[in-house]
Amino acid sequence: MKGSRGKPLVIGAAVVLALALAPAGLSPFLVQFLINLFMLAALAESWNIIGGFTGYASFGNVAFFGIGAYTTGVLLTAAEWPFALALPAGGLLAMAFAGLIGMPILRLKGHYFAIATLGVAETMREIVYNLKITGGGTGLTMPITRSALPFFYLMLGILIAATLVNWWISASRFGYGLIAIREDEDAAAAMGINAALYKTAAFALSGLFAGLTGGVFAYWITFIDPEGVFRVIVTIQMIIMAVFGGMGTVVGPLLGALVLATVSEVLSTQLVSLAELFNGFIVILVVLFMPKGLAEVIRKREFSLRKLARNLREYRV
Amino acid sequence: MTRTGWCAVMLAAALAFSGTAWGADEIVLGSAISQTGKYAREGKFYVDAYALTVDAVNKAGGVKVGGKAYKLVLKMYDDQSDPNLSVRLFTRLVTSDKVNLLLGPYSSGITIPASAVSEKYEIPMVQGGGASGKIFDRGYKYIFGTLPKAEFYFQSVIEAAAKFTPRVQTAALLYSNEAFDRSVADGARQWLKEQKIDKVYDEEYQPATQDFTSVLAVLKSKSPDLVLVAGHEENALNFIRQAQAADMAPKMMVFTVGPPTADFRKTLGKAAEYVFGITPWLPDMDVGGEIFKSARDFAKQFQDRFGYEADYHVASGAADVLAYKFAIEKAGSLDAKKVRDALAALDAETMYGRVKFEPTGQIAMGQVVVQIQEGKLVPVYAAGKTLAKPIYPAPKWSMRK
Amino acid sequence: MLFLQVLINGLLLGGLYGLMALGMSLIWGVMNIVNIAHGALIMLGAYATFWMFTLWGWDPFVSLPATIALLFVYGYCLQRFLLNLVVRAQLFLTLLITFGVEVVMVNLVRIFWSSDLRQVTPGYAGANFSVGGVTVPYVRLWVFMTTVVLSILFLLLLEKTRLGRAIRATSEELRAARLTGIPVAHIYAVTFGLGAALAGAAGGMWGMLFPITPIMGGGLTLKSFVVAVLGGLGTMMGAIVGGLVLGLAESFTSTYIGPTYPNAISFGLLVLILIVKPTGLVGRRG
Repeated sequence: MKGSRGKPLVIGAAVVLALALAPAGLSPFLVQFLINLFMLAALAESWNIIGGFTGYASFGNVAFFGIGAYTTGVLLTAAEWPFALALPAGGLLAMAFAGLIGMPILRLKGHYFAIATLGVAETMREIVYNLKITGGGTGLTMPITRSALPFFYLMLGILIAATLVNWWISASRFGYGLIAIREDEDAAAAMGINAALYKTAAFALSGLFAGLTGGVFAYWITFIDPEGVFRVIVTIQMIIMAVFGGMGTVVGPLLGALVLATVSEVLSTQLVSLAELFNGFIVILVVLFMPKGLAEVIRKREFSLRKLARNLREYRV
Repeated sequence: MTRTGWCAVMLAAALAFSGTAWGADEIVLGSAISQTGKYAREGKFYVDAYALTVDAVNKAGGVKVGGKAYKLVLKMYDDQSDPNLSVRLFTRLVTSDKVNLLLGPYSSGITIPASAVSEKYEIPMVQGGGASGKIFDRGYKYIFGTLPKAEFYFQSVIEAAAKFTPRVQTAALLYSNEAFDRSVADGARQWLKEQKIDKVYDEEYQPATQDFTSVLAVLKSKSPDLVLVAGHEENALNFIRQAQAADMAPKMMVFTVGPPTADFRKTLGKAAEYVFGITPWLPDMDVGGEIFKSARDFAKQFQDRFGYEADYHVASGAADVLAYKFAIEKAGSLDAKKVRDALAALDAETMYGRVKFEPTGQIAMGQVVVQIQEGKLVPVYAAGKTLAKPIYPAPKWSMRK
Repeated sequence: MLFLQVLINGLLLGGLYGLMALGMSLIWGVMNIVNIAHGALIMLGAYATFWMFTLWGWDPFVSLPATIALLFVYGYCLQRFLLNLVVRAQLFLTLLITFGVEVVMVNLVRIFWSSDLRQVTPGYAGANFSVGGVTVPYVRLWVFMTTVVLSILFLLLLEKTRLGRAIRATSEELRAARLTGIPVAHIYAVTFGLGAALAGAAGGMWGMLFPITPIMGGGLTLKSFVVAVLGGLGTMMGAIVGGLVLGLAESFTSTYIGPTYPNAISFGLLVLILIVKPTGLVGRRG
């Protein structure tokens, strides 16, 4: 087993090394782009745990991102904690919240679950709007940092951690349990898997990484407000990247984030007013032709339009 | 996609990311402005204002530095009314596009984070779309603003109200949960206390609120003489329409945004009558300077080119570009620090008024209280003086023609 | 009397909320499609009403049938030629595709009709009457009456007509419906068309009360979720009840707690209902 799993590890290490040395040679702008990319990829990987492996499509993961951002933000500004403490606090609080809210919500299935998570995210935003300590609609301003490098390495670190957790899940008993739940929850329970515990743990893990990225994001972007941090589009981005790349796989969300974030960035600067329009079309096309994701397409070498159209026949009424 | 296909994509991406190369005799002003999203309407004012002013400056000989004449060039992005995107775009403008100087976005909420970028990279940003004091109380050195302080927005109108006969005795304060409006409200509370006007209602609302019927029901039951509303144009439109439908006609209504804008008056028609507003600039003010001889001259050029009336947003945006022209020429250099210092010391007469920044970076400028009378914007009070007879109290809805 | 005024306000607006959610509940109940583009359909209805009013001077109540027809055709085509292709895919994929549709619709509208605020203001827009200390704007009352009429018509259609029976049969058991010769693809398309038509009608009404912009749909989709879930997904009466409940909740919260709280309360209610009784106020358990 170790042998066949060794190769991806080596490739992964090489990529990480290249990335770690990257800032030395890249323009500050590309460094910013990469920080954003790492963030989106980490979010996609975190969503993958609950959405991809466990099959519970959460539409509210941005709630954990936001909680992480605001916890870190408030601790940095009001309580004047050092960032080294504020960041883990943000991640842990997000994880705890995910675990707590997961217990009642994970009892729901399918659309109900999706809507419930969406409701949680929206409620969080409204709560943050109304609290004094979060600055309400005015938002919070962080102290300025001169260099972007710490954020580069932090986001990269979180991404690596999230990916490693996904990798561990993919071959562990915990992971097999999650996949069993995804395929047939009743059968899984019958086999003795404590579905509630597994699901909640997956949700909490998802929340942890989303929260950590949120915390780094807050400090990096220097300013957070409810509208900017609890955005539905962020959850959709996470999902679309994971789906596009291949949900339930380890590398899928990374691929998805890489391709989509790059395309989106190119579009948004060259074809400003049409960027969103193209994004919409991309989403439609992905769902129609590549619902199993890019990773699957590459694996099966299904590059022809005819093969892609096969999906249509499978899912249509 | 084949391997060649992927290479093409990567190459395209790399090319797309490479910055633009600028001419040797160009000064590039970069900005990310809301061209789409909830601020799209106001954002357009700035896009057009920048364009008109840049062209006018170039036509008048450009910007002279060290005996050479430079052309002003604009590099604009759309921030989609999103503060996060704004930060990334401004970072891109500085690090990738390598612009010389920055022009600001619209709205305090976006200017607060965007100015952190200009401060971080030590490049001046002159903005005309953010008025909240919170932009300027962080001790930043590189942010300048041509809109007067939000906290003072309601000062002159409350002062004027206290001088009415019969005197205004009670007031209601309604403001949006956003940086700018909260600052306006903070100031308003102080002015009301100063003028000894009783505050009977003081509530915040979510920026996205469209239905004010509950608020109006409460206001109707409390019957304040003066209703102060801080919010954006859409909020003002909804409020007035629903006030009419609820048969709520306070003796005096004031809005932070809306009345000075022609589109606002056109959309509301007769319902806009008697409404008060505030503006630091009017087209027939007696101000002028280089490039645009007078406010009227500027307003005409703007109307001719873009087909709609200029309001204070437009004038403020134009003033930003002018501030740069004067500062750069005064500094005699394109060095960011030198231009910054020249901006801090600037004192110039323009078609917007006197452009002089306080040590915090914000302009100090009075506001004119205006009232919509017979569809026209009438200045009624400014700098402690009554300019025209205000119509007070406003008649009930059923009494209006 | 403040309390009565707040009550009336909540009911009048709640009726419109109910109409908005009716379409979503129908589509969800029959085809298990959660339509993220629902708000965009409402937006289209609003724009349709606006253009007919502005270009041809048609009163918004008079042009309502036209709006309904237009949106029906649009919805039918959308389902028949796009959504039918993924109806049997994983649930959240349909969510994603409707999200893509929403983005495309909103941006096309923005590109062609700009982000300028529009509003439909017929001459009687501000007219109102007072009774017992409560002021009622005519427009809101007529909108409420229109939503009542439309809801009744729609419920009759579902219960009493052959088409309605076919729709209900398809929702209950797809294979059986097929076996009895019901053209499922067509029925699905008709159902979506109906849902879109209801959304369009709601949009036409909405445009009389509030400004119309390309991005107005997002918040309305969320509101429709809350209403549909509150009342009970898939039950038509549920949408109406849910709408009234939400309207009242918002009105009372805004008045007695504060204007910044209605959204927090409505989303909180959504989560609470899902946890406690996911079938909603009206829906049956199981």
